[in-house]
Amino acid sequence: MSAVANDAIATAVLAQFPAVQQKHADNGRAFLLVPKGDLVAVAHFLRTQKSLRFDALMDLTAYDLLKYPSTPPSDDIAVVYLLFSYQHRHKVTLKVLAPRAECEVATVSGEWPAALYFEREVFDLFGVRFPGHPSLRRIMTPDDWQGHPLRKDYLYPDSYHGVAHLRDGQHFEGSPPRGGDTP
Amino acid sequence: MTIEASTPSGERMTLNMGPHHPATHGVLRIVVESDGEVVATCTPDHGYLHRSIEKIGECVEWPMFVPYTDRVDYVCAMNANLAYCIAAEKLLQSDPANTFVVPRRGECIRVLVAELNRISSHLVAVGAMAMDVGAYTPFLHGIAQREGVNDIFEKLCGQRLTYNYVTIGGVAYDLYDTAIDEIRRFLDQFEREMVRFNKLVTTNTIFRDRCASVATVSAAEAIAWGLVGPNLRGSGVDFDLRRDEPYGIYGELGVQVPVGQAFAGRKGSVGDAYDRYVVRLLEILESIRLCRAVLELLPPAAAKANDPIGGWQADVGKQVKRPPKGEVHVRTEAPRGEMGYFLVSDGTKALFRVRCRTGSFTAAGIFHHVMRGIFLADVVAVIGSFDIVVPEIDR
Amino acid sequence: MNGFGYAVDALAAWLAGGEPGWIALTIAVLAVWVVPILLLVFPIAALGQILERKIAAAIQRRVGPSSAGLDGPLRFGFRVLLFFLPRARQDRIFAAFCNLRPVRSLLLVSRRLGLGQFVADGIKMLGKEDIVPTGADGIVFRLAPYLALAGAFLPFCVVPFGQHLVMLETEVAALFAIAVSGIVVVALKMAGWGSGSKWSLLGGMRAVAQLVSYEVPIGLAVGGVVLWCGTMDLHAIVGQQYEPGVFSLLGWNVVQSPFLATLAAVFFIAGLAECQRSPFDMAEAESELVSGFNTEYSGLRWGLFAMAEYTEMLLIGALLATLFFGGYQSPIGEEWIVGLPVWLEVPIHGAILGVKVVTVFLVMMWIRWTLPRFRVDQVMRLSWLVLVPMCLVSMFGLAVTLLAAGGTHAGEAFGRVASRPRPDLHWLGHLAAWAVPVAIGACLVVMAKKKHGQVHPALQRLTGGRS
Repeated sequence: MSAVANDAIATAVLAQFPAVQQKHADNGRAFLLVPKGDLVAVAHFLRTQKSLRFDALMDLTAYDLLKYPSTPPSDDIAVVYLLFSYQHRHKVTLKVLAPRAECEVATVSGEWPAALYFEREVFDLFGVRFPGHPSLRRIMTPDDWQGHPLRKDYLYPDSYHGVAHLRDGQHFEGSPPRGGDTP
Repeated sequence: MTIEASTPSGERMTLNMGPHHPATHGVLRIVVESDGEVVATCTPDHGYLHRSIEKIGECVEWPMFVPYTDRVDYVCAMNANLAYCIAAEKLLQSDPANTFVVPRRGECIRVLVAELNRISSHLVAVGAMAMDVGAYTPFLHGIAQREGVNDIFEKLCGQRLTYNYVTIGGVAYDLYDTAIDEIRRFLDQFEREMVRFNKLVTTNTIFRDRCASVATVSAAEAIAWGLVGPNLRGSGVDFDLRRDEPYGIYGELGVQVPVGQAFAGRKGSVGDAYDRYVVRLLEILESIRLCRAVLELLPPAAAKANDPIGGWQADVGKQVKRPPKGEVHVRTEAPRGEMGYFLVSDGTKALFRVRCRTGSFTAAGIFHHVMRGIFLADVVAVIGSFDIVVPEIDR
Repeated sequence: MNGFGYAVDALAAWLAGGEPGWIALTIAVLAVWVVPILLLVFPIAALGQILERKIAAAIQRRVGPSSAGLDGPLRFGFRVLLFFLPRARQDRIFAAFCNLRPVRSLLLVSRRLGLGQFVADGIKMLGKEDIVPTGADGIVFRLAPYLALAGAFLPFCVVPFGQHLVMLETEVAALFAIAVSGIVVVALKMAGWGSGSKWSLLGGMRAVAQLVSYEVPIGLAVGGVVLWCGTMDLHAIVGQQYEPGVFSLLGWNVVQSPFLATLAAVFFIAGLAECQRSPFDMAEAESELVSGFNTEYSGLRWGLFAMAEYTEMLLIGALLATLFFGGYQSPIGEEWIVGLPVWLEVPIHGAILGVKVVTVFLVMMWIRWTLPRFRVDQVMRLSWLVLVPMCLVSMFGLAVTLLAAGGTHAGEAFGRVASRPRPDLHWLGHLAAWAVPVAIGACLVVMAKKKHGQVHPALQRLTGGRS
């Protein structure tokens, strides 16, 4: 199936970028943890290297590590890059941790234009900014929406432009009413 | 997205196509800046149908998310169910203690309903495309055939649009008694009907000339922009997850993959709107063949639902209550291309993160790239040829 | 001077009680010309709408209108007729009438056919709010539908409906018809511009571009007929197509020469474009421009546009029949009709023309519900690069045929005396006039097919051919 085994991909990347770590998820799924600063270089390497040729970005998404039962606990936002090579038919997963305080990851839309939309979505729902993205606007939620809904500490607004989200006397479970209108 | 009050600046005119325009297939809004009839720039605006399905996935238990997957893409809900269920099963099975397997009959039924649903989804796609190009009749002929599939599904699971039929561990119900005969009969008359449909619109010169060389996407562009499914194959990339990363029983079926070859002849080019359209029609034929092949493979029903051969539903009730921690990424071939689920579990009853990557999302992403310098009339043809289903974009 | 002229003069003289002034003449013209034509064409156009819906339904394997019968109109008629009776009595009588077996079955049939649909639609249309958008140019916006209707109706003045049934007999009838129908262009432009909507504007601009382009092939096609017949008088052109004997069909222009047949086809195609019918419905283009020039119209004004469209379809049918298909003449001998008394001759000739018009109408609908729409550039290309050259070649061919014929013979014209007899071709000459151009055309078609006609094998597989 795959021309290069998963470990071989990791070895190739690690040889070039010593700061990249190969890690495994709790169920053993391997991924490469890329330092923020190396991301664009790693992406370019993966896309252009002849034996790797990751020409497609299958998916670009994120998840919020806050409330994830990991040791040590973290409140970073993990941005996940799922890459695929149509030429060699192999895959690799990259992860970049974006700290909550300075939630920025460089854009990879220069490598894969498909990232233009994915990054807009991650920006909208997680609040990760992608410096270098040509038009980083919200995509799912309205332009004037407050907060980023898929963050684990997101508080549901009671209403939007005066339209209540809930009937009288209700409130979202586990999420105290924000009190007030959004925006 | 805010659009500045349109002022006559130079020779350009700003046109708001949608969100309630007859040709935008739902609630897509495209802000077109045009120079007369020629489109200068085009900016899609999404989110009118955003229901935060991914957030809902973090709040409900594993099996309870299946009905929401229907709403991710209600034109091919079976495939949407299937994608999530396969991902969930794979994540459950990453714990060696979970030893369930989906029964053989259940797997066959899954492929059967997925292919039937692919037929009905592609019928909407090609019919709507013909309608966008101005032929109203083929759409209704397509819908009439889609009714046949819907009738079968209604008898199967009580629903005509959002089925909630494929479950984690199998399918919700066994086939009803006369199902096999009815499916066979439907396929036979449908095959004849498709010939009429194609004679009516596909080989029509006006239709072909309207779609030939419109919004051509080269293979390299299609890959870089993340196009998937028929849109990718229309550009000549020979890739189908059912054949190249088989799941379920697809590996045994030998899926044939049609790719775009400049079907429109000398006026066309590989990867134009007509190629994408014809690839869908060829996939319909392939789906008919697959359905018949699956009916041959289908083992007889057993008495018990969780029988490993003749059953249709493995018992996963306990496993989903105490799932393993970890993550999984699974992609399946839905009618609109790769439907990828990236699931993260924190070991609780609700998933920690549900990510659903859909074909329409990236197809919408390429709009502003391909819709430059084309005619206003082509904008709708391009939307139709990429087979956009808006809930899939907005989720 | 025909029946209409006499009637107008007589009525005007009666109104004025002597030498009629312009007021009396105007009233007489309105009463004799305008009201009858409205009464004639309006219901036909309305019924055309039902016909269209039923045909579309049949093509799309739907049922179409199937509930609105003639019960309502009939009840209304009873109310009016029996106005002197109390309402309960009226209803009882009406119920008893409807219970009669033939009436009951007729009403049932009318319901199944949806015959009452146009009444229901009309009432709905009249009851709708008349909206003028804020950004619209009020006067232009309001005026446009009436102009469109006028442009569609006026050319009917010169269409001969029968031997004695031409409203306006003039030497330049063909020119008049083409010129007057040009008003529609102005109306559509006004509607597009006056609506203050970009969709309308685009639709209006498309309409103007398309109509102006297609008036060229239409004009050239009519020019070919004029060249052949030597007159612009439509009634005289009908007279020219008279052929004595049972095979009067052989006198029709369309069988006179392949070039005239070509011109008939061009006229029909360009006529489709002139009435904005699919595949030329660029200006309305539902899936692109929402509804084009009539996006912002509602209620009666919208209805007037729809009426204008149907009227124009009838007009194209009438002109096509008049110019190429013998007008009101029957295809199976004309003498037996001409000999009849006027009160029989007029309806029979009218019905024959009606059948021809409705046939064209049906073909237009069939095309509409089958074909996709052209793109703007393709529409223009078809007009200037296909139809216009075809017209020019045909006109040249006609001129050559006329020269080769070398002489004319005085055909037995009836009705209006033909101003110039048809060219006299020996039957061998007729054969040659057909055979030579058809052979050349067939060769061209075969060559084109060989060069560009191969279909991709995958498409052959889709259409059931070999794979």
